Amino acid sequence: MTAAQVKALFEGTLVTIELTLISIAIGLVFALILALGRISKNKILNGITWVYIWVFRGTPLMLQLIIAYFGVPLLSKSLTGEYINLSMFGAAVLGLTLNTAAYLAEIFRAGIQSIDKGQMEAARALGMSYGQAMLKIIIPQTYRRVIPPFANEFVMILKDTSLVIVIGLSELTRVSKQFAAGGDWKFYFIAGGIYLFLTTVFTVLFDKMEKKASKYE
Amino acid sequence: MSMIKIEGVHKYFGTNHVLDDVNLEIQQGEVMCVVGPSGSGKSTLLRCLNHLERITSGKIYIDNELVDHRGNDKDILKADPKKVSSLCAELGMVFQRFNLFPHKTALQNITIAPITVKKMDKTKAEANAMELLRKVGMIEKANEFPSRLSGGQQQRVAIARALAMEPKIMLFDEPTSALDPELVGEVLEVMKQLARDGMTMMVVTHEMGFAREVGTRLIFMDQGRIVEQGTPKEVFENPKNERTKEFFRSIL
Repeated sequence: MTAAQVKALFEGTLVTIELTLISIAIGLVFALILALGRISKNKILNGITWVYIWVFRGTPLMLQLIIAYFGVPLLSKSLTGEYINLSMFGAAVLGLTLNTAAYLAEIFRAGIQSIDKGQMEAARALGMSYGQAMLKIIIPQTYRRVIPPFANEFVMILKDTSLVIVIGLSELTRVSKQFAAGGDWKFYFIAGGIYLFLTTVFTVLFDKMEKKASKYE
Repeated sequence: MSMIKIEGVHKYFGTNHVLDDVNLEIQQGEVMCVVGPSGSGKSTLLRCLNHLERITSGKIYIDNELVDHRGNDKDILKADPKKVSSLCAELGMVFQRFNLFPHKTALQNITIAPITVKKMDKTKAEANAMELLRKVGMIEKANEFPSRLSGGQQQRVAIARALAMEPKIMLFDEPTSALDPELVGEVLEVMKQLARDGMTMMVVTHEMGFAREVGTRLIFMDQGRIVEQGTPKEVFENPKNERTKEFFRSIL
């Protein structure tokens, strides 16, 4: 393995990590809004969020990524007459974020609905608004319950960043495939090893978070 | 002075008529005990007062101000929503299952509402909370999480939590029903102290001893109606309604 190859692998790994962290971070905020929409009594909000989750969980992530990179410019051309081009990285983040938001929203919704309804009643009876009660009482309690499924989704997205190979972004999988195509099959296993290392590190990290969050039980 | 006035209140859950033309007035300093078989609408009546449930028709006044008015007549009086939330804040509520916030310590359970709702300074809120914890005899447990407290201790913290919002009226929804028998006394003791301090209280309870000792008035509910009312002594010793007699026979 040459120094240039090591450097390329390292950079590819960084892109993989960046894609994961950025998509999860933005997706998380978006998912919380979606989850609140799903449990809202407002029929329109409820309907819109339902459709969103239905579409993004019911179609392949790879297709969503292709649309984000190749479809968006064409779509914008026919709508506004101008091409709007996203960078490869931008399109990858867009596709991953929108997809993970749909999955995380369902995780958060289940978490919120698992909290005893007496908690909301107690908060409301103390004069808190619905928003205050959600923010201070309900959502903090969902935190520990949501960590395991959240960790699951995190690891899924980390692995699924490899799908951005279809739009040509040089992340870990694409870099190793290029080197392996040069005749050295070992690179496939190096990539696998790096993915395993990353998923293990994050799994251990989330386990620790879960244990720490259990202190009041 | 009238603290709560309930006029012609009806409540339906679907086709189930839970409150059937309830009329009641509670004066300042009264300890109103509400008894009756389960499903008679006692808890629902309490929950309608602070809008955990909404009435189907009728009027509710708190502190002589309209907080809820539903009905079919066209020119219905609308209660001002801002006023309503501040009036509802005058009602403190204690639940059968305590409903303490499990992720907060006893102290934080008490300070969170004053800090969040009244924007009270944290140091001041904590000083108030410690005073309340002392009052309910829980000061040494201030930094414990609810999971580390017994049911009776949790309920005493829950009473302190409600008092922290400085309510004018305290509503108790079967506050001792979920407790082991030996823990009932400590909660009743706190409630008796509150009554002695002059707090206006409405207590849904099965504790007839408590009703007799501190209740100033007692109503008996059955099938969503108030079928009998008077002083606890009157109602216990000389119930007029057949249903009331039957109920007392069955529980004593």
